[in-house]
Amino acid sequence: MLPIPHPALRATFCHKGEKEEFGTRFAKSLLLPQGEKVRQGMRGGPQALTLWPTPTLGPSLKEEGDDGAKTLCSPSETAMTADTNTSMASTETPAKDRPRPVGLTSRQREALAGYLFLAPDFLGLLIFVGLPMLLALAIGFFDVNGFGTFNFVGLANYLRMAGDPLFWQCMRVTLSYVVMLVPGLYLSGLGLALLVQRTNRFNTVMRALFFTPQMVSVVVIAVIWQFFSGDKIGLAARLFTSLGMPGVSILGSPSLALFTVVFVSVWFLMGFYMLIFLGGLQDIPQQYYEAARIDGATPRQSFWHITLPLLRPTSFFVLLVSLVAAVAGSQAFDLVYVMTKGGPANSTQMMIIYIYQQAFQYSAFGYAAAMASILVVVLLALTGVLFLLTRGGRFDFE
Amino acid sequence: MSDKTRSTPITPSGLNRRRLLQGGATFAAAGAVGGITGFPFVNRLSARAADAQTLNFWNFYAPGGDVKTQVDWFTKMAADYNASHDIKVELDYVPNADYMSGSKLSTAFASGQGPDIFLISPGDFLRYYNGGVLLDLTPYIDAQAQADFPEGIIASRKVDGKIYGIPMELEPMAFYYSKKAFEDAKLNENDIPKTWDELLEVGKKLTSGDRYGLLFEVQPGYYQNFTWYPFMWQGGGEFQDANGKSAFDSPGVVAALKLWQDAINSGAAPRQLLGGGGGDIVANLGAGYCAIQNVGIWGISAMDNNAKDVPYGIFKLPTPPGGKYVTVGGGWAFVANAKGKNPEAAGKFIAWALASMSPDSIQREVDWCTVAKSDMPTRTSALKQGADAFNKGNLALFAKDILPGVRGEPRLPPEVYKIISDAIQQTQLGGADPQATATAASKQLDAFLATYKGAPML
Repeated sequence: MLPIPHPALRATFCHKGEKEEFGTRFAKSLLLPQGEKVRQGMRGGPQALTLWPTPTLGPSLKEEGDDGAKTLCSPSETAMTADTNTSMASTETPAKDRPRPVGLTSRQREALAGYLFLAPDFLGLLIFVGLPMLLALAIGFFDVNGFGTFNFVGLANYLRMAGDPLFWQCMRVTLSYVVMLVPGLYLSGLGLALLVQRTNRFNTVMRALFFTPQMVSVVVIAVIWQFFSGDKIGLAARLFTSLGMPGVSILGSPSLALFTVVFVSVWFLMGFYMLIFLGGLQDIPQQYYEAARIDGATPRQSFWHITLPLLRPTSFFVLLVSLVAAVAGSQAFDLVYVMTKGGPANSTQMMIIYIYQQAFQYSAFGYAAAMASILVVVLLALTGVLFLLTRGGRFDFE
Repeated sequence: MSDKTRSTPITPSGLNRRRLLQGGATFAAAGAVGGITGFPFVNRLSARAADAQTLNFWNFYAPGGDVKTQVDWFTKMAADYNASHDIKVELDYVPNADYMSGSKLSTAFASGQGPDIFLISPGDFLRYYNGGVLLDLTPYIDAQAQADFPEGIIASRKVDGKIYGIPMELEPMAFYYSKKAFEDAKLNENDIPKTWDELLEVGKKLTSGDRYGLLFEVQPGYYQNFTWYPFMWQGGGEFQDANGKSAFDSPGVVAALKLWQDAINSGAAPRQLLGGGGGDIVANLGAGYCAIQNVGIWGISAMDNNAKDVPYGIFKLPTPPGGKYVTVGGGWAFVANAKGKNPEAAGKFIAWALASMSPDSIQREVDWCTVAKSDMPTRTSALKQGADAFNKGNLALFAKDILPGVRGEPRLPPEVYKIISDAIQQTQLGGADPQATATAASKQLDAFLATYKGAPML
């Protein structure tokens, strides 16, 4: 029995080849994940279907029998509410000959509804995020002392940045942090998800436990790990002493502090990424694994050739989000600031902490805004690379 | 008409999407109207108009602080003022960490809504002065009261002879030691270090498997700089010479940087501290984490209140070979916002509170230093009026032994503070060569001083 497709898809099925209005396309692209394939558990093996009307759509439906298409689009079906009288266009008079109905078509109303639902969130983002971002970009060209004076200085802040050794130190620290954190989160998230993939009681408990750090305030986490990593009497110090390495200070040595901070960040965030990967793993149909097993594939081959490729959208999302989190996330600032305040000797001085200090402790708002603008540009560049490599986050599966 | 069915699905309750959206829009509009006119934070104009008769005093002691004597002192001061004046003073509590390194003050000033009266540390003085928000208090203080503040203490709050802040306390730095730790290591009063070498030696002797011998501040910040300055001064080091050029590249500075580096490298001092850091004596010395701690006079009341079962002693800062005894004295000051809603009233309040020759103003200062806290007073008359309190117990030790030789905490612009802080961090924790670090920092200082145009640093 064919499942009744999503109402938005009905338009696609029933208007093969007809050009859709832009509004409906846009609404669909917003309402349904762009590029995401809708998998329908059809008989004969999973067939991935694209949302965009393509000629290939017809044959896969027609395989079920011609009555399939007619059943979906036939106006006589009382179980479905027909879209508008244009849905009958394929069976009655051509659309361009019929008199246009007054007011908006149903599809246009759908589109309008979509926009209206998005409007509050979009307005909020525009007013509270977009506008301040533009203002901060503008402030970067001024000398602002935080007490009311604004002096236009052009590129002076950017030149100062170029000659500021601490700025380059922060850049190095931030990039090291990103390079260690993003793969760390990816691997630990994926690893944990694979471990607790099967749904049984034990795994459910473990999933909750892995996620628990996320439910605790990041400041509390920072303080607790500060105790753990304390000198001489902290857990880590005692461990090292028992291993024959006394005097190791994992948070007080400039060479080790960043690793400690990365470790705590990964510990804090891995539950969240585990959940995302779990979702992605559960999306993969079991038939693939069964088919592979029948063909004699080892678990490792299954993982490499089935799991990983089909996890690409999830991986993309995880990499993107963890990249942004590594540079500007709450754990990048709060955790590091509470644990080390950017020390020892600027070895954990993240860019975001330096920006904060320049703005709120040294009252150099213009300089801080200029640095923040550079940070945004770097982030945009990195995420742009990610998007480019994945062609806009679209993943085609055969 | 059967095929022209409804385009919006009807839910069981009769609410369709259109009705929901309309309802939501009306609700949002009502909320917006109400918000714009009703909420005091949104409607600034009405808020300011209503409060022209109230002065807001932002501080980190009351009414939400955790030391009862300090809370009482502040609330009594506000109550006394409000009882005898038309303009009322309202205390607004900002938690310590938020006040000192948070964004609350900066944001308030940046939006033109800074508090009318607030507390300021010498480290921050130049930032606010150069920003033009400090009110000149000299017109509100009579000449006799002005002379009552020793020059060495008030100098860092004066520019061109005009007073911009009234210091409420003087907190000299010293060393505290745990008597029990001394006994355990078979040391006694004679082993109290008087030189830097003795300090390091005793520190090493006191270091054990779960206790450090010495403790200096390690976290970068104004406090770390503040505690390091006296070691620089003892060897004759300065950060600026008489011509305004950097004097950081000098033996005194190098020796001070080396002392802190040696303390860590010898294993006597920790790289990480407990509790609130180097200024928190109860969490470190009181908890047995270290045997000797570099802490200020506030340690007395902290230990007496929160670590009663830990007997401790105090000794003044040891000196280097050929050096002179100097210690640093910090302390916060009352200042008024020159761009506040009623600067004149704010100035009058500060003068009434701490800078008038009337006995209760002087007594207020005595009470702060002896009852609310254990600090040295900033006024000669207060020292005299509270003589018996200042000559008792550990306060007497400070008054007689440690106080002579105190130098006020320097006021520096943030860039200079950062250069010095980086130098301390690099040598203390990063293991960098002190001479090379001092030279590099001195060059940076020179580069900055060449373009600095604010009030002079002291």
